[in-house]
Amino acid sequence: MGMRDAQSFDEFYRSTSARTLRYGHAVAGDHGEAQDLVQEAYARAWRQWGALATHPAPEAWLRLVVSRLATDRFRRLRGWRTAVSRTGPPEDVRPPGEDTVLLVGALRQLPANQRQALALHYLFDMPVEAIARETRVPTGTVKSWLSRGRARLAELLPGNSSEELEVNDVA
Amino acid sequence: MSRELTGFYRSLAEDTDPRGLAAPDLVRRYADRRARTRTAVGVLAVAALVGGTAVGAQFVLAAAPDSRVGPPADTPASPSPSPAPPSTPPTPSATSPGPVGSASRQPTSTPPSRGGSPPAARTPTSIPDSAFFALAAANDHGAGARFVAGPVLPALCGAEPGAGGTVRQRARSLTFWLAGTPEGNVPDGHYRHSITSYRNGRAADALDELREAVRNCPEQQIGSVTSRQKLLPSGGYGDDSVLFEMRKPLLDANDEPTGDEELRLIRAIRVGNVVTVLWEQGWEGSSSPKAQVDADSRRAVAAIRDWLR
Repeated sequence: MGMRDAQSFDEFYRSTSARTLRYGHAVAGDHGEAQDLVQEAYARAWRQWGALATHPAPEAWLRLVVSRLATDRFRRLRGWRTAVSRTGPPEDVRPPGEDTVLLVGALRQLPANQRQALALHYLFDMPVEAIARETRVPTGTVKSWLSRGRARLAELLPGNSSEELEVNDVA
Repeated sequence: MSRELTGFYRSLAEDTDPRGLAAPDLVRRYADRRARTRTAVGVLAVAALVGGTAVGAQFVLAAAPDSRVGPPADTPASPSPSPAPPSTPPTPSATSPGPVGSASRQPTSTPPSRGGSPPAARTPTSIPDSAFFALAAANDHGAGARFVAGPVLPALCGAEPGAGGTVRQRARSLTFWLAGTPEGNVPDGHYRHSITSYRNGRAADALDELREAVRNCPEQQIGSVTSRQKLLPSGGYGDDSVLFEMRKPLLDANDEPTGDEELRLIRAIRVGNVVTVLWEQGWEGSSSPKAQVDADSRRAVAAIRDWLR
């Protein structure tokens, strides 16, 4: 393992963690859990920062860790809540909008790989081929995840007809 | 793409508040602190898995007769079918006049099958803390050592070198820092360090068995990767010593190869009827620093010689 440069890690964290948290939110279907997952993923990144600093796609690497943690989650991740205490007065947090509440509720009823594919597509605007590369599955599998995920969300989200979604099944 | 669904995700993105995330230095500190704890916990977990299985029993309750490397079949019988408890010494200690005398006084013990062990070497029946070397001050950041049960050698294609003829064994986990590593940094490595006392002559057998096990296991599968083993020259430590390396691809947290290689060094040293093993296990994939392993091997021998004096 090479030397670990704290400054470059901190810069990476500051420039990418908000995006990664949005991804974690969409994959985990819970804001608080997403915080734990994302911090855990960055902690793992730091532990091998010597090698990861030169990785061609460290953000994709992180998202993969987040996805795996989200599907194979251990309760110990809750340790983040106390270990990294969010001290000070609570932030003036705006309550989530109705659409967010609805989407998150629906996402929780989808399989993890569908949530992952949908998040990469809708949050990062990634085409099927890029999602396939990142998730290491054939493009046909990604198409199937997206298609099924959209169909299921159409059932679960109000005012979202499945016909409308199926027409544009695969971007 | 559905315009509607895009809107839902945009709403989720806007409602995801990054202010709740910890500052990066806090994440680093927590990761490092937990890594230190993890090693101790990991060793305990291994010990729990091994406890009660053949490995643990063989190493700890080694007074039971061992047919595998034992005496020839015509050796006087009554090989103590009643298993001796670990606290019962199967061989007399320092008063033994020599290998032959020892064998005649203790027919159940193995007569030395080779001339490798020094005459009148004593077989310790207990191993005090003082037999374990102390790290040099420059390598010790106060992590301490933990005595835990568990394997004292890495897997070698299923071989169990040195499992027979043991009398007592203690093993600890010891974390070290290289000289010059700043305080507060993660460790540079850690040892699985064991001391095993053998019945007369069997310590030499143990080292021979280890050499053979490494030679017979040039490659083995460990998890998803192939580990390659090789004997290295090891002179000048104790009465005899074996040094070998294990090399395997270094994986990241996603079990992807990083392109780097992980090198582990393991040295077994015999001092009389005692064998000590320093198995350097690294820290988060760091490779074993040879100079440090050599220096600590010398300290390990010195501590054992002081103890046996």
